[in-house]
Amino acid sequence: MPVREVLLAGADDRDLTKLAEYQAIGGYAGVPKARAMSSDDLIAELQTANLRGRGGAGFPMGRKASLIDRSSPKPKYLVVNADESEPGAFKDREVMARVPHRLIEGCLIAAHAIECRDVYIFIRGEYLTEYEILQSAVDEARAAKLFGDVEITVHRGAGAYICGEETALLDALEGKRGQPRPRPPFPPVQGLYDAPTQINNVCTIATVPTIMELGAAEFAKIGPESSPGTAIFSISGNIARPGNYELLLGTPMRELIYDLAGGIPDGRELKCVIPGGSSVPALSPDEIDVPLDYDSLAKIGTFFGAASLIVVDDRCCIVQLALRSTKFYMHESCGKCTPCREGTRWMVQLLEKIEAGEAELSDLDLLDDVGSRILGRSLCALGDFAVYPVASYLKKWRDEFVAHVELGRCPYGGSSSLEGIVAPLDAHRHHPGLEILA
Amino acid sequence: MSDLVTLTIDDREVSVPTGTGLVEAAMAAGIEIPVFCYEPRLGDPVGACRMCLCEVAPGPPKPQAACTLTAAEGMVVRTALTSPMAREAQNGTLEFILVNHPLDCPVCDKGGECPLQDLTFRYGPGNTRMTFPKRTFEKPIPISPLIALDRERCILCYRCTRFSEEVAEDGQLVAVNRGAQSVIATFEDEPYRGAFSGNVTELCPVGALTSTQYRFEARPWEIQNVPTVCGLCPVGCNISATTREGKVKRVLSRNHPEVDEGWLCDKGRFAYAHLQARDRITAPIVKAGPRRFEQVSWEDALDAAESTLRAGGSSTVTALSGGESVEEAYALAKLLRRGLGANEAVLPEEVPDGFDGYRAPLSALRAAKSIAVLCDEPVIERAPVVDLWLRSARRKGATITYGVPAGDVEALVTDHAGPRYGATNVYYLPRTPNGRGVTDAWSAAGDGEPVDEKPRLLVISGDEAATDPSVRAMAAEADFVLGIGMFESSFRGIADLVLPGTSYLERDGTTVNLEGRLQRQRRAVIAPVPDVTMFISKLAERFGVEVSPHVSVLFDELAARCFGGIAFADVGERAELPPRAAQQDVDKVPGTPVPATGGLRLVAYRPLFSGAAVERTPELEFQKPDAEIQLSRDDAKARGIKNGQTVTVSSNGTSVELRARIAKDVQAGVVRVARDHARDLHAFVEVKP
Repeated sequence: MPVREVLLAGADDRDLTKLAEYQAIGGYAGVPKARAMSSDDLIAELQTANLRGRGGAGFPMGRKASLIDRSSPKPKYLVVNADESEPGAFKDREVMARVPHRLIEGCLIAAHAIECRDVYIFIRGEYLTEYEILQSAVDEARAAKLFGDVEITVHRGAGAYICGEETALLDALEGKRGQPRPRPPFPPVQGLYDAPTQINNVCTIATVPTIMELGAAEFAKIGPESSPGTAIFSISGNIARPGNYELLLGTPMRELIYDLAGGIPDGRELKCVIPGGSSVPALSPDEIDVPLDYDSLAKIGTFFGAASLIVVDDRCCIVQLALRSTKFYMHESCGKCTPCREGTRWMVQLLEKIEAGEAELSDLDLLDDVGSRILGRSLCALGDFAVYPVASYLKKWRDEFVAHVELGRCPYGGSSSLEGIVAPLDAHRHHPGLEILA
Repeated sequence: MSDLVTLTIDDREVSVPTGTGLVEAAMAAGIEIPVFCYEPRLGDPVGACRMCLCEVAPGPPKPQAACTLTAAEGMVVRTALTSPMAREAQNGTLEFILVNHPLDCPVCDKGGECPLQDLTFRYGPGNTRMTFPKRTFEKPIPISPLIALDRERCILCYRCTRFSEEVAEDGQLVAVNRGAQSVIATFEDEPYRGAFSGNVTELCPVGALTSTQYRFEARPWEIQNVPTVCGLCPVGCNISATTREGKVKRVLSRNHPEVDEGWLCDKGRFAYAHLQARDRITAPIVKAGPRRFEQVSWEDALDAAESTLRAGGSSTVTALSGGESVEEAYALAKLLRRGLGANEAVLPEEVPDGFDGYRAPLSALRAAKSIAVLCDEPVIERAPVVDLWLRSARRKGATITYGVPAGDVEALVTDHAGPRYGATNVYYLPRTPNGRGVTDAWSAAGDGEPVDEKPRLLVISGDEAATDPSVRAMAAEADFVLGIGMFESSFRGIADLVLPGTSYLERDGTTVNLEGRLQRQRRAVIAPVPDVTMFISKLAERFGVEVSPHVSVLFDELAARCFGGIAFADVGERAELPPRAAQQDVDKVPGTPVPATGGLRLVAYRPLFSGAAVERTPELEFQKPDAEIQLSRDDAKARGIKNGQTVTVSSNGTSVELRARIAKDVQAGVVRVARDHARDLHAFVEVKP
């Protein structure tokens, strides 16, 4: 049975947004347990658990904690990245809305590990309800004197995708324009206010109480050895039962799509799956037997990413799909580094030309080449995110691109499922006097 | 740990000090790593432009931004010279930059001296694959009367915003919007008003931020850059005067790392327009009515000057500006002291020489851990670049005390004599650009004592002296006033005969800055009038005194007495600081006594943006100080005054309404008002909400 509840355990039976309810199922027991341990022992325990970061990169959380320079005279900070902005991702949202205390408990434990007194939870600005729930849970836990000498501050973002990038998040938290910093120095050495800083995703931190409850050795036995624990998978798009599913890592993708989420509705055929939010290479139907864990997905050339599957059926024009996501990344490019800022705009121009049936075959190669000149050259991963999906469409669905060129129009002739669905870019105008040119 | 690390760049082994950045390490190996955004003077690298992408091992298998990396032992770096990956990446960066760059190089002021052109030539694509309409913006946008912004040319290297944020710390230039729509703007679209705004035009690696004065004035291949030294304040920033067809068209910094680190204030950068002022004196003039002059021939002028000087005799008083070159002051002093025996002078400064034992380069301020600033006048108004050094020191962690420090400090910045509070480095800020040099030159020219007699003749040297209220009061008492100066209106109503003066940009000579550094000024353009030393020499002849018209001769005469016998030719383009004088116990010197009177002591300061040169540069008008009174937090609190509030400042029946500004560099008991706004206020004032 692939379903196992860790993060969302108990949330179906009780209102775990209430402190009393959460404590009734043993909540916050991990905090005194952790505080009875030395920081070194606690970090060793976290390293044994081998919990890999759920934000996308999969870096082991315990190892991250061990990199914090605890001898630094500066304060140590724990920052929770709750700026969940990846298209297709909505797992952190559910954790904050339904089990906020599990996240708070995780914060208190992780804070003890790195000798930190100031925890910041940077929550996506659009998550107003989740913010309110989380804030009242923080207030309730503080009032119940669970914090000790730790303070937790929930800070709302202002609506920029880039602030989910950890160093841009730090800049935004400091009150600056949210733009990524060059690395090195990495946040464990020089993070928030230039002090040692641990940054983790909501699901990562919310898993920590379970490590304390089971013990690291037991926790490490859950799921595959290389990626222990569970993950909440958000599944959306052309799927019968979209939503969040908490599964053991390593569950085959096919099982999630067809058994749990009910398969493709309306008798349509699966066209592709973008497995980690809109920013990763897409998979074709013959690739969906892959187990959902970091290493298996990497092996077939894509990423675990935000554990968010976007399922696309055969009614969708792949060029429109590419255009839709590239417009998003162009709109969200922060503008700091050249390749991402200029390249994403150029990609949009090329994709529009292709979709309009005005392109030549050489434009497909140019699109590919522009992408390759962004990939790996930008300051942060946003540039890569814009390129990964488009490069995979060009490679795996090249016929459809060629058809646009040869027919001189979109082969779907206006019937594509994305037809007329505008990207946010067209709806946004920020600065008076400046014209936004797509 | 060894002090050196050895790494390999393009197969060349190079050893550099630990902590050296890769760009500098490559430079040490004679290899270029091209950059746009990288500029160490602006703080930590940002890695934004991606021009410096190189192959670096150990490291991820993709191009790395070399500007953000530090040289490490055993590192293997490959630049575009030997790495196809780096070459391709750099070419890609330039392709992306040029995709939306207007390529209007033929009409761009930067064309011909543009890093984007140069790097495209060396590393960029030779053609374009971009077939779409380029991004357009409204342009040019005047971000101030001094600076025009072209957002299409901008490559978003963020040098300008980083300067504003991290060097001048004025926070006025910002980036707005996101992604491809990112643009540079001023905060809230207000004009960029600040003492150092012009530096962004020089930092800009493309033609996005241009000087409105220089716009469309010249092409780089038809200009000459003359290395000289600014003569508008006692810092003595090293500058290049750009000239075309005998006119100064622009002033650029000529980075002296110990003096100015490549920054100029807007006065030094833009006030050169005074050379072309309408009221410039281009021939000798004599009084022809209460407010009117008439031009006379040089023959007649010299005859008149001679007879006037003879009539004035030994009781003649000379008022000096402190803007003269050392040689001009010496020539004038020699004529008056030796020729007439007139030893009485109103000197621009009384420089406390005890501090010369604690002389240090301005750059040493940055290393100080504790600094006391004991200045009545705001540092930024008196010696603007010193303010940048102080800011830099504070960013490095220095503690800066404004006012008398509680304990000993490492460095002292002061504008008056007094104890040094244990400081090993003392920076005295004179009031005038070359007050130190002029004072030295006056004393070197003779040793006679002034006579005790009512003066009949007043000689006024320079426009700053001619517009000084106390000098004007003396002029009213004198029977005859002989002026030397540049502008008719400075002398109108007070002088009987005025001989034309020249600007620091029009003469050869030397000047002494606040550190005591002797610096060489060079003639950038030929003045419309002869050198001052030329006619003084001719006049001196008539009094039987030998005064050479040549500055090198004048300097050599003086150097033995004042400057340790250095030869004129050895006053280099980047002058060194002379060794310290013998240390005196200046702690015995009493500080300026503060009379115990009720009320707050008013400092009516001379603002940076004032004076003859600024008055004649219309573009600087907007930089003039606001009608405000600066007061300390304590004094404001005691009176219930809030920042920005309008207050009444009164003394002895006079009162002025001014806006209050609470300033942390003002000591309790002192208030500051710009001279123009202080009007008739007395030395002690009361401030009420």
